[in-house]
Amino acid sequence: MEKKTAPLIEIKGLHKSYFNDELETPVLFDINLKIEKGEFVAIRGPSGSGKSTLMHILGFLDHHTSGSYLFEGQPVSRMDEDSLAKIRAQRVSFVFQAFNLLPRTSVLQNVQLPLLYHPTIAPSERRERAEKAIAAVGLTDRMYNLSNQLSGGQKQRVAIARALITEPDVIFADEPTGNLDSVSGAHVMEALEKLHTDGHTVILVTHDQRTADHARRTIEIYDGRIKSDTPNVKRPPL
Amino acid sequence: MRNRDLLTLATRGLTANVSRSLLTMLGIIIGVGAVVLMTGIGKSMEGVILGQISALGPRTLALWPGKQGPEGGSASLRSDFDALTFADIEAIRSLDTVTSVAPMILMTGRAIYGREQMEPSTVGATPEFYSNQKIEIDVGRLHDETDERTARKVAVIGSDVAAELFWNSNPVGERIQLGEEKFTVIGVVKPIGTQFFQNVDERIIVPNSTARAVTRRTYLDMVTMQAADDVSVDLAKKDVESLLRARHGIIAPLTGDPTENDDFLMRTAQQAQDTLGAVSLGLTLFITTVAGISLVVGGIGIMNIMLVAVTERTQEIGLRKALGARRRDILAQFLAESAFLTFTGGLIGIASGLVLMVIVARVAGEFLADYRFAWSISSIVLAVSMAIGTGLLFGIYPARKAADLSPIEAMRYE
Ligand SMILES: Nc1ncnc2c1ncn2[C@@H]1O[C@H](COP(=O)(O)OP(=O)(O)OP(=O)(O)O)[C@@H](O)[C@H]1O
Ligand SMILES: [Mg+2]
Repeated sequence: MEKKTAPLIEIKGLHKSYFNDELETPVLFDINLKIEKGEFVAIRGPSGSGKSTLMHILGFLDHHTSGSYLFEGQPVSRMDEDSLAKIRAQRVSFVFQAFNLLPRTSVLQNVQLPLLYHPTIAPSERRERAEKAIAAVGLTDRMYNLSNQLSGGQKQRVAIARALITEPDVIFADEPTGNLDSVSGAHVMEALEKLHTDGHTVILVTHDQRTADHARRTIEIYDGRIKSDTPNVKRPPL
Repeated sequence: MRNRDLLTLATRGLTANVSRSLLTMLGIIIGVGAVVLMTGIGKSMEGVILGQISALGPRTLALWPGKQGPEGGSASLRSDFDALTFADIEAIRSLDTVTSVAPMILMTGRAIYGREQMEPSTVGATPEFYSNQKIEIDVGRLHDETDERTARKVAVIGSDVAAELFWNSNPVGERIQLGEEKFTVIGVVKPIGTQFFQNVDERIIVPNSTARAVTRRTYLDMVTMQAADDVSVDLAKKDVESLLRARHGIIAPLTGDPTENDDFLMRTAQQAQDTLGAVSLGLTLFITTVAGISLVVGGIGIMNIMLVAVTERTQEIGLRKALGARRRDILAQFLAESAFLTFTGGLIGIASGLVLMVIVARVAGEFLADYRFAWSISSIVLAVSMAIGTGLLFGIYPARKAADLSPIEAMRYE
């Protein structure tokens, strides 16, 4: 019963420091946050404020230093590696700020990559799903190009297609429109809007107010602390 | 991850970065190929060396005049070249501990038949020589006691002598010029090859008494004999040695080397075998060292290539983990990739080593009659497993380390 009522994401008093040798770099301080299933949240803040760091922790890609992170009521710090891998494979996906595509590998292969680790999507479905995801970001004519033969914006769209292919419950997108012109950016935001209306939870990072306005809620971060957390009232006309 | 995906990943890993794969494989190919080749040559050479004494039975003893024996160089240049006399031979023959005593006199001079001539090694030996050296007749007959008693001028020739002097015609009954004298060929012996690195098929054997009469010699160049059935080879050796010391008035020192004052040298077949065994062991060690160095060089090559790729591969591992790969998926992928790569390299290495060995055997066979193609399975197995081990170690070790990082740490690795 408790599981049903528990929020998707619940963070209390979370701290994050990076440790390089003996040097400690504290980045996030006392973060408290609740995100319900199906929300569309934008995280905003100046460069270096800790947005990506927070997203990586939320997206199961990095560990927090102290405080608690409950995912559907379960403490993440007590999950073992295999459970984390299972969540990464089936429940969430990530659009990286730096795209992180496999070099010397075709768009088609890059987009299919998450399916290798998805136990329930049959290999016979892979190709069709990949083509659909690539079409959704308008890259059908670049399907067989190698990732290093693409422009920055095209790489970003491949990264988005890759995140969509498993149809995850939660999508984390770190500056998904950062490298796109306004037209492609609008396409990406439309895709994210659609995911949201289909019931997926969408969490995105942006420094751009217009992009943030697509979301239903904006969290502002400043120097590693949450400065404000407000529902969006003025949504741009679609 | 599914097994089929693993296979695709492994083969794609090979083709995704062709130059890296080739360089890695090159290290393995060089390492394995060198070991296969070198140990093969070593084994063949060992065969050549050990083949030299195969003709000697294990109970054979050899006796030379002079403290240094044949190792001292040409006997005639030394003061004790005439230490072994015919009277010594008679005394040795009267011992119970040795049988089949075969005294030898070496003769020099050309062998001439018609317009053909050659420089054979001619030995005047008693019929015991044939059994001591396991010499068998091919055509005609060996010389016997009657020839010996009457000092007949007969010759038993080696197969190469027959070929050089008589081409294809039958030499038996023909007369050849040996030094100043004419000898009648009574037999041709079966080809033997090389013994102690001499081609014994270029040898002419005449009766010892005939050689003694022709050369007017009072001393012998060498004697072979067999230990009697009921005594040990070492005992027979000691018996002959003390007999000779007594006859030559030699007093063995009480401490240290008992052969110190001798004017003769005795060797057993076992000693000869040990000496050659030591030579061949030295050769094997040398070759193993060279092969080991090639393996290390190859291994360093593999290591370098694998480690150079670590940055890129670490980032790839981070990405795969971010997309849901478990630790064991990562390890399985890298294991499959490295195994595929190193195994292919190992096979190519073995194949190229073997091809080179066949070529070497062809070429060496021209110069060394006893050189045979040989390979050492154990060293091939060792080389391949070491190369594959290096490949796997340096393929998987960084992957293991990377798989332990959080996805983000791995993706940021530089
Ligand atoms: N691995 C690391 N080690 C040490 N410090 C780090 C590391 N990664 C990030 N930081 C620091 O943490 C802070 C927050 O970085 P983060 O990438 O989260 O910022 P951001 O808000 O995403 O910025 P941007 O808008 O430029 O992407 C920065 O000051 C950065 O220097
Ligand atoms: Mg960032």
